[in-house]
Amino acid sequence: MDYVLVPLAATIPLAPGTFVLRFAGCGFLEGTLPGQFVMLRGADWGTDPLLPRAFSLLDVRPANGEVDILIKASGKASRLLERALPGARFSLLGPLGTSFPAPAADREDWLIAGGVGLAPLYMHAQRAQAAGLARQVTLFYGGRSASDLVMLDDIARTGCELVLATDDGSRGQRGRVTEAVARALAARPPGTPLPSLMACGPDPMLIATARMARDTAAPCWLSLEGEMACGIGICLACAVPCRGRPFRYTCVDGPVLPLDELAGEYALARQGAV
Amino acid sequence: MTVDMTTRFGSLTLKNPILTASGTFGYAIELAHLTDLSKLGGIATKGISPRPRFGNPTPRMCETASGMINSIGLENVGVQGFREVKAPALAKIDTCVVVNFFGETFDEYVECAAGLDLVAREVGGVHALEMNISCPNIKKGGVEFGTVPSVAADLVRACKAVTGLPMWVKLTPNITDIVSLARAIVDAGADGLSIINTITAMGVNVRTRRPRIATVFGGLSGPAIKPIALRMVYQVARQKLGVPICGIGGIRTAEDAAEFLVAGATAVQVGTESFADPDCGARLVDELAALGAELGVSRIADLIGTLETSFEPISPVDRR
Repeated sequence: MDYVLVPLAATIPLAPGTFVLRFAGCGFLEGTLPGQFVMLRGADWGTDPLLPRAFSLLDVRPANGEVDILIKASGKASRLLERALPGARFSLLGPLGTSFPAPAADREDWLIAGGVGLAPLYMHAQRAQAAGLARQVTLFYGGRSASDLVMLDDIARTGCELVLATDDGSRGQRGRVTEAVARALAARPPGTPLPSLMACGPDPMLIATARMARDTAAPCWLSLEGEMACGIGICLACAVPCRGRPFRYTCVDGPVLPLDELAGEYALARQGAV
Repeated sequence: MTVDMTTRFGSLTLKNPILTASGTFGYAIELAHLTDLSKLGGIATKGISPRPRFGNPTPRMCETASGMINSIGLENVGVQGFREVKAPALAKIDTCVVVNFFGETFDEYVECAAGLDLVAREVGGVHALEMNISCPNIKKGGVEFGTVPSVAADLVRACKAVTGLPMWVKLTPNITDIVSLARAIVDAGADGLSIINTITAMGVNVRTRRPRIATVFGGLSGPAIKPIALRMVYQVARQKLGVPICGIGGIRTAEDAAEFLVAGATAVQVGTESFADPDCGARLVDELAALGAELGVSRIADLIGTLETSFEPISPVDRR
């Protein structure tokens, strides 16, 4: 883990409101694993926004010390990030947190990505490709409409199977990405070994994934998002109810946690439904 | 010009007036790889209770304009956990360690002070105690102990009786008359005052029509509260109660820190900014020294309590 001031190298627009920020001078992030994240803050932000923001990395290019972060402009900080100019300086703290398990020959991985939740799962697909295990991996990727689905060519290049879904049916299967996963699960011949589910995306998607995993007993890892001030286990804001002890922390115990470590009603509690 | 950064805080000599604030710097040792802890004038630890606590439901934090609201719930390792895991590591850091503590009841405060006194004598890593009578985030104690002067004074007296460590008391801003409270606490034997803790606040999410933190109310910190903190430090400082003040609230630059010194604080604590920049405290030590040189003081302590409030035609700068 290191804490470094780095320049923005480029902003790559992918779709309206969705873009990649490419940072230079990030050699210290070499070896970052899929799911691990950085705390990012603009050196010129002043006092508002005040706190750094957590982002999983999309891509790490050790050869030239660049890293990519996938962002959808939604709040104050992400809109500032969208307007940031090349050369602007940012503090980056990382790599932080846990990662998805490495691709394995004896395991089939179903990756479930919602929106910019794609980032760590794209990195997992790349990792599978590098290990010659791309055929073990299927990426289910959903958004509200076709314009939410980005980097499709990059994903195709990993050699992993890709299943798309959009809420409005403008691309891939119509409906939630988790419905596409459920259909694929149901279509498997009886007796086929269960795939491992690995998900990153909005809470409702994680909840649906958790339910499927519970119903089928499929192994499952979720990458959680939690509002956090520090990213390093100091502020204790990003608590998640867990089995065995009252809380774990998204920043140091996660963001990727096995479902069976999370308290049963974790997802509902996060939704405010219980 | 080299500025002498040492500061006398009661019986303690701080290498400089920059400390980190309780709850924003963990137990410090977790941050050893991100900042030079030995540069700091001191460290106020996460608040310790007699037994471990597990904090509040989530969400526990939300960001607001130039600030944040938290309701963590004083999650901590307890006295035994502190003694076994944290104190031995803290004892190796060359800085002043101020252990923040609290209880849910009167007796728990005293038990905690006695337990930490034992840690100081048998393990080390404790140079002063900072009694938290001002956290808005626990149901019992907390704010109640910190708002009634006679109750606060009894608490200080009882805790002082079980330890020889310097006893700082961290005051709440959620009170009408901070001067009466400060006076009662000093009369009861407090060795220092930390001013201020967070300001009770709330946030609303209009889309879900829910409060932005689970306990509805939490504590506001960050630059948004600095002017209020400065006002309260000055209100107490000008009473000249005879104990040093540690100024806290929204400090993120050397100028911020110097403002508190001029208003009458002997030292300051950097809080929320450590989340944005874990190296902030150490950085401010250098920046404050540079600012001191710019202001023409040979000792940083020469800034303390130098606020000139009469608006005469000639400014203090011209007079010098």
